Amino acid sequence: MIAEVSHFFLVTASGLFLLSFIFSTLTYKTNHNIEILVSRVFSYGSYFVFVSFLIYIWLSIQSDFSIRYIAEHSNKDLAVFYKISSIWSAHEGSMFLWIVFLSLWSQFFNFKLPQADLLKAPSIGILSFIIFGFLIFLLFTSNPYDSLLPIAPANGADINPILQDPALAIHPPFLYLGYVGFVIAFAYNTAFLIKGDLDINWEKIIRPWSLIAWILLTIGITLGSWWAYYELGWGGYWFWDPVENVALMPWMAGTALIHSLYVSSRSNSLRSWTILLSISVFSLSLFGAFIVRSGIIDSVHAFANDPQRGLYLLLFSGILIISSLAFYALRFPKLVSSNLIKPKSKESFLSINNILFVTAIFAVMLGVLYPLIFDFIYEERISVGPPYYNTIIAPIAFLSSIFLVFSVGSSWQRSSKLFFIYSPLSLSILLSIFVACFIAFKLQNFEWWFIGGNFSGFLILIRYLLLVINNISKKMYFNKASAIAHAGLGILLISISINAGLSYEKIINIKAGDSFQDDMYTFNLLDFELINEDNFDSIKAKFLIKSNDASEQVFYMFPEKRKYFIRGQITSESAIQITPFKDIYITLGDQLDNGHWVVNIQYNYFIRWIWISAIIMCLGSLMAIKERSIKK
Amino acid sequence: MNNIRKQRLFNVFLIIFLSSLGVFFILKALNSNLDYFYTPSEALIANIPQDKRIKIGGMVKKDSVDRNGTKVIFKITDFENTIEVHYEGVIPDLFKEGSGVVAYGKIHDKTLIAENIFAKHDENYMPPNIEISSG
Repeated sequence: MIAEVSHFFLVTASGLFLLSFIFSTLTYKTNHNIEILVSRVFSYGSYFVFVSFLIYIWLSIQSDFSIRYIAEHSNKDLAVFYKISSIWSAHEGSMFLWIVFLSLWSQFFNFKLPQADLLKAPSIGILSFIIFGFLIFLLFTSNPYDSLLPIAPANGADINPILQDPALAIHPPFLYLGYVGFVIAFAYNTAFLIKGDLDINWEKIIRPWSLIAWILLTIGITLGSWWAYYELGWGGYWFWDPVENVALMPWMAGTALIHSLYVSSRSNSLRSWTILLSISVFSLSLFGAFIVRSGIIDSVHAFANDPQRGLYLLLFSGILIISSLAFYALRFPKLVSSNLIKPKSKESFLSINNILFVTAIFAVMLGVLYPLIFDFIYEERISVGPPYYNTIIAPIAFLSSIFLVFSVGSSWQRSSKLFFIYSPLSLSILLSIFVACFIAFKLQNFEWWFIGGNFSGFLILIRYLLLVINNISKKMYFNKASAIAHAGLGILLISISINAGLSYEKIINIKAGDSFQDDMYTFNLLDFELINEDNFDSIKAKFLIKSNDASEQVFYMFPEKRKYFIRGQITSESAIQITPFKDIYITLGDQLDNGHWVVNIQYNYFIRWIWISAIIMCLGSLMAIKERSIKK
Repeated sequence: MNNIRKQRLFNVFLIIFLSSLGVFFILKALNSNLDYFYTPSEALIANIPQDKRIKIGGMVKKDSVDRNGTKVIFKITDFENTIEVHYEGVIPDLFKEGSGVVAYGKIHDKTLIAENIFAKHDENYMPPNIEISSG
């Protein structure tokens, strides 16, 4: 009964969004009363979606197994936290969450944007259309309310144990918030294109929304990477899996967008480019949704294969993207600004980096789609290996770091003299070449990507350090937000290079009571402990580890193997010892017939700093939102 | 042609040149990093260079898993042909006799020297092509 109420609310909401969309098309002659009505109806639609989702959470906590989706993905014995997160552990529920975020985020925008804004009604209308389209998709192809009545099972099928994890429970919500966050820029700019009134200052409106969306997307991706690292037992943080790639594409486009927005709000150039980017970011999010949910690409993340869903998403996304691009083409002649970009001006360097980012996005997209194209043409199955992405993305990252550093001291709208002998730029290039060579010789690694990564990372750090020192000593203004965010990027580049260059693993064969020594530590496998938990049995190894150097540091590590009852699934819980510059990472393999165990020991260097740098970048972006609101 | 036009023409050619260079490098990187996917039957017929890494997918043959220290030897089958796989390292938790597996590595003497073993995170997983080639 409660489920029917929730279902009914969702159906009502889709009706309200349709109504709001229809009303918005009537505001063509700007009728003020209808504009208010559009906003009101939209609010009600969002509240209905929200209440409906709250009820759905309640049903999940109550373990209402008359609902097929809850019966298939939850279980009575789960903790309440995981009963809730089980909602987004599969297709229907995660689509539901996607829509909830989409409508709440849009409602927040609707609430914040003053009624007097000329583009309010049309942008809310576009948002209504998008939400309506997704609600129809949910209700007709992936209904989370499908009933199992009259026979409801006594207990549910449980969620996959590797998904029963705090990081993974909050990773999808952040990711979805990031994906849907860019819808505001899309809707507002499409509304701008439809109106065609060039005096509207859309940059100011969409900048904070895009920055917040970028931050949330970054957090979402970082959480996913962190989870994969400690849960999957491979000790990696990025696998170039298709689904990671479809999250990376909107992230890169979003990064380009917030920079291009900065240019067009400062120098009035790149306006048409910025609009195209704002359309692209959301289009890439939709593309991601299509790839993941249609199951056309084989991936560890892919949901069940259903051609009908894929077809609907393809059609709906196609309508949105093509109509938005059609308006873009229509307004293009008026949008192109007549002032050319001066060479060696700040905007010229930012434009070059925009081109580099688009190249990277194109390369990643080609990597994702190539197996499909190849299968279609040659009927052979291939996959694109991680080396492809590394060889493309690494040089692009290095190049764009160099142009970033060029842009630091340059000025808007005029050519800058950057290369005099004592310029901060020359100094930072010399210093970072020195540091990169020093590290390469010290660690005896002369791979191009290792030297390049360290060089570009230190280049950014040193250049910004010089800027900060100079401007503080002269009491001059400088963009603190940008300095912090880019320092994060510098640390990221260094950490990725050092991690790839130094990390190594070894596989040992050991039995209880034995020890194993390498040049840094001695591992003593003391004994095993059997543990019975509510939903799994576990065997836990106890390692005593001593460092071989003078410090004689001693610690214990407990890698574990679990067998979950309901699905009979076996999972390895790696043990991780965190030190400032490296992780020791132990995974328990299998037991051999003679009682020995196969154990994998990894040393992962600078891995923590990869995630820390993402947090630093987010902090910088957060400051950028504030900085703008103070200045204007 | 006046100077501005010359400059524009030069810019256009520069852009075309740079973007084709970019596309060339991307395609080159793509081509040298394609991993072909075979079933055991396909792998036995196909002419695979020894230095080329490939993926072989199928089911782990029953009673074929042999362990020796940190080394594992097993056979992948598509119910018609089998291929032997040698691997050193920790095998994934979902690796089981009779369930789906993908091995990644180089072929040497009709044996796959695997660098990586993937088992699917889905108990009902069937490697692609098996249904086609066995049915």
